[in-house]
Amino acid sequence: MIDVATLLFLLFATPVACSLPIAFAWVYRPGADWARKLPILSVFGLFVSLCIAIYILLYFPDGVFEYPWLPDYNINFVFVFDYLSKYMGALTAFIAFLIGVYGLEYMKHDYRLGWYWFFFNMFTASMLLVVYSDNLLMLLIGWEGLGLASWGLIGHWFRDDDELAYVGVIGRKVGPLKMFWSPSFGGWRAISTIRFGDMPMFFAIAAIYALTGTLNISEIDWGHLFHHIGLVGTLILMIAFLMGPFTKSAQLPFSEWLMTAMTGPTTVSALLHSATMVAAGTYLFMRLSLYIEPWKLHHTPGVEQLYFFVLFLGLISALYGASVALGCRERKVLLAASTMSSLGLMFACAAASFWLGKIAIYVAFWYLITHAFAKATLFLVAGHLIHATHDRFCCGNLELAKKMKVAFLATIFATLCLSGIPPFTAYWVKSAMDYVMHHLMHEVGGAPLYLLIAVSVIYSAFLAKFLSLNFIKGDKPKHLHLHGEILMPLAYAVMVSMLALLLYAILTGREVEELVRNGLEMFVEKGFEKTSLAVGLAVLISYAITLAIPKLESPIGRFLGDRMYMPALNDYIVPKIGWAIAKAVDWCNKVIDVFCHQAIPELISTYSLGVRAIQSGSLRRYVKIALGFVMVALIFASLVGW
Amino acid sequence: MVGIMIASLIFVTLGTLIFLKRPKIVFVISLLAVLILLLLPEFRSYVALVIAIGVLNLLSMMIMNNQIKGLDYALTALIAMATVYVVFTNDLTMILLMFVISSIPTYILVMTSENGAKVDVAVKYITFMVFATVLFLTGAVLLVYSKNVGSELIYLLGFVMLIIGLGMEVGCAPMHEWVPDVFDSADPIPISIIASIAKIVPFVVAYKILIMTLNPTTAKIVPFVAFVAAVSMFVGNIGALTSTKPARILAYSTVANMGYILATLVALINLDWIYLAFAGALLQLMANAFGKIGFLVSMKEGGASTYLMYALAFSFIGMPPLIGFWGKLFILLSIVKVGYVWLALILVINSAMSVPYYVRLARILAKPTIPSFVNAIALIAVALTFITLIPPNWFVDLAKAIIGGV
Repeated sequence: MIDVATLLFLLFATPVACSLPIAFAWVYRPGADWARKLPILSVFGLFVSLCIAIYILLYFPDGVFEYPWLPDYNINFVFVFDYLSKYMGALTAFIAFLIGVYGLEYMKHDYRLGWYWFFFNMFTASMLLVVYSDNLLMLLIGWEGLGLASWGLIGHWFRDDDELAYVGVIGRKVGPLKMFWSPSFGGWRAISTIRFGDMPMFFAIAAIYALTGTLNISEIDWGHLFHHIGLVGTLILMIAFLMGPFTKSAQLPFSEWLMTAMTGPTTVSALLHSATMVAAGTYLFMRLSLYIEPWKLHHTPGVEQLYFFVLFLGLISALYGASVALGCRERKVLLAASTMSSLGLMFACAAASFWLGKIAIYVAFWYLITHAFAKATLFLVAGHLIHATHDRFCCGNLELAKKMKVAFLATIFATLCLSGIPPFTAYWVKSAMDYVMHHLMHEVGGAPLYLLIAVSVIYSAFLAKFLSLNFIKGDKPKHLHLHGEILMPLAYAVMVSMLALLLYAILTGREVEELVRNGLEMFVEKGFEKTSLAVGLAVLISYAITLAIPKLESPIGRFLGDRMYMPALNDYIVPKIGWAIAKAVDWCNKVIDVFCHQAIPELISTYSLGVRAIQSGSLRRYVKIALGFVMVALIFASLVGW
Repeated sequence: MVGIMIASLIFVTLGTLIFLKRPKIVFVISLLAVLILLLLPEFRSYVALVIAIGVLNLLSMMIMNNQIKGLDYALTALIAMATVYVVFTNDLTMILLMFVISSIPTYILVMTSENGAKVDVAVKYITFMVFATVLFLTGAVLLVYSKNVGSELIYLLGFVMLIIGLGMEVGCAPMHEWVPDVFDSADPIPISIIASIAKIVPFVVAYKILIMTLNPTTAKIVPFVAFVAAVSMFVGNIGALTSTKPARILAYSTVANMGYILATLVALINLDWIYLAFAGALLQLMANAFGKIGFLVSMKEGGASTYLMYALAFSFIGMPPLIGFWGKLFILLSIVKVGYVWLALILVINSAMSVPYYVRLARILAKPTIPSFVNAIALIAVALTFITLIPPNWFVDLAKAIIGGV
């Protein structure tokens, strides 16, 4: 029997180790026929991880596993196995494996397979590390791994030579803004935005360590810590920490990177931007909240303000994301915006735990799972569509639907499940979410519930739009090349069928011990409440209407489609600030230059020449100076003595 | 102990007289006379280091041909003996005698060269040395006298005269005028003796006399020492920065180094740290001696191995673990501990300022590495700068032992 440490080591190391052959092969023999077969090994690595993750899910007892690393500093490899991490780990490994299989076909003819598979597998390992880590330093290592891998993957097509890889209409400008983005730019923007959030997070982790002497999330006495540092301290510390999750989960105003991240291969979007990397932010927030237990800290300064802030940040980001998706005509960018919207809902729902307790976190987590499968399916379909039609923009009609039956059916099912139409999967989860927000009516007011309903209605509308414009009422595609793909439809078919499995689990919730234990049997119960049914009906109507009228030209639509000109922040305002700083630095540099390279040397050389000018060679002069000094010194000594 | 000293003295004197026409034999006699001192029972590490410097001086003398060939070895040996003996005695007459003995031979040595005596250089040098000796001796006597009569004014005058005498002798600014001229015009080999071994005795003697006559008035006049030290550092380093001739650079480097060492005398105000200060002074004197011998001897042949030149430069700059680092470290520590932080700051600034010209000097003198006598001497000098690979706690103990009995 293998022990836990080895098993965990294999979990993290196998994907990376298995991607090394292709990575090195591509360095020495790029494009060789035999090298093109090596990705199978990488996918095998992902498969091993999947097996271990499922083993952990099924057989590991809840608890913490610790392996010494820097015991003198109380920093160790600490892994936590609880409801969140077990399911999240299995989900990550499963989706990564499935997308890996899809990628075998999708990336078959790519020019940089070594790069792609190395970063893909490294990404998976990093994500698993983030999921299972209890130690913040280790988590940070995984977290940075995610950032690095996302840079590598988003900018994968670094040559910027394929129009299909761009985001936005090439050549389009609005005012001073260029409204199109290349892959290399997308990769750079992703890492720069993420790093912007990681820096405060890094300092927050250091501060937590300095204040508590430990980095294990489950060990820290959060209530005591917050009391100790007071209202302002808590807000500064936690918002600095959450800057990491906020940027990674693309909450306002850090959303732009996610939109331009669509320059990466679709597999990357499906893995990173639906289920894992962006979800890592919300996941971390859930994990923290689970151990902070904010529902017990109602009298601790700063905690209520913090959760109130996250609640509304999430809801507003959700509304923004949904509106943008509604106006967007690019397949992947639409999905990216919708992902941002869902992440906002997850943040908001998890933040409601302050008022409602643990159950809100579990609802948010269930939404994460549902969303992950549905969104990954849609991304994979979108990838297949782009592959087949050579068009990034929504296009396709029933003729196309007939040719791509699996994709069509998967899209129908995924959109139905995700939009929250009764009785499909997300409906029950959303009902619980309605209940959560409804519960806040007393403490926070009606705004959260109304925002949630608005988001839900818009959400279902753009999902219907995606379905309609790609398969039913869209323009006829200019090109259509189906290459007889097998793995790709297989992957998203399996992916979408997971939603049916989830639905089954929810409907039979009373019998599933795991759900009952965490109070999740309430999904069905809440689904039959009047409010939920009303919201479900509204969602259904909006879905039906948009399905019938998917396109509506209007300035508002263009405004939404241009992402409410948020790119201006990243492409105009921030660079202006950056240039201002650069100018200031340059100016300081010049001052230092003048000071160090002109003022000081000239001063020194002047004095130096002065010092050396004494050496005239005349002994008389020397003696005069020396004896003069003797006289002065003796007078000085006499004065001191007197 | 005295027996060994006298034996060594008689050996070198008679040997030189008998074999005056056979320089090679005089060399061996001088070498043996110096090495005999290793038998001395106390202060062994000090004695060994001084002998190492003395032997290096003797070896460098071999490169040079001059009018008094033979006698020059004996004179060098005499300075080494005085430098060794000065730590063994606390008798005022004897230590002042040692001061004179270590000084007089350099008057002759400075004149020597391969073509005719350098009288003009000698005149400058001797003029300053005579002033220095007179001031130093008068100052010393006044200090001791003031102790007997209890006069504060006499103490202060004596103190100032002693410090100025010391400064003139070793070359502190603003009495440094002879240094650049002499270094530039005289032959590098005798200068390597003046710049190395001859600097040790004046400081040891000054330390002994000042500690002997220490009284509460000292704190009033110590700022004068700090002032001279600071001026010396600045004049030395600033002067060296724009000098391009190696001899000039080394001359100003001497002025700066003497400033560093003089600065340690501020520790007189707090006897708790005087040992550390003296250890710093001695160590810096050794560092200065090894470095100056290495550079000046190389200069004679126009340069030496690149590696050796840079190693010596790094020692002067104060890079750990070379001896120059420890010297400066001890000096800084002692100055800071007795409360002269501003002086320590000036020392650090000066130390930083010295980096460019030492590197420049090393670059000027850098030559390909070939087996040669000059390279061998420089190699020994470099090897000796590495003795502080063993962290020199032992040096502090040594310093304590030397001035503890005063």
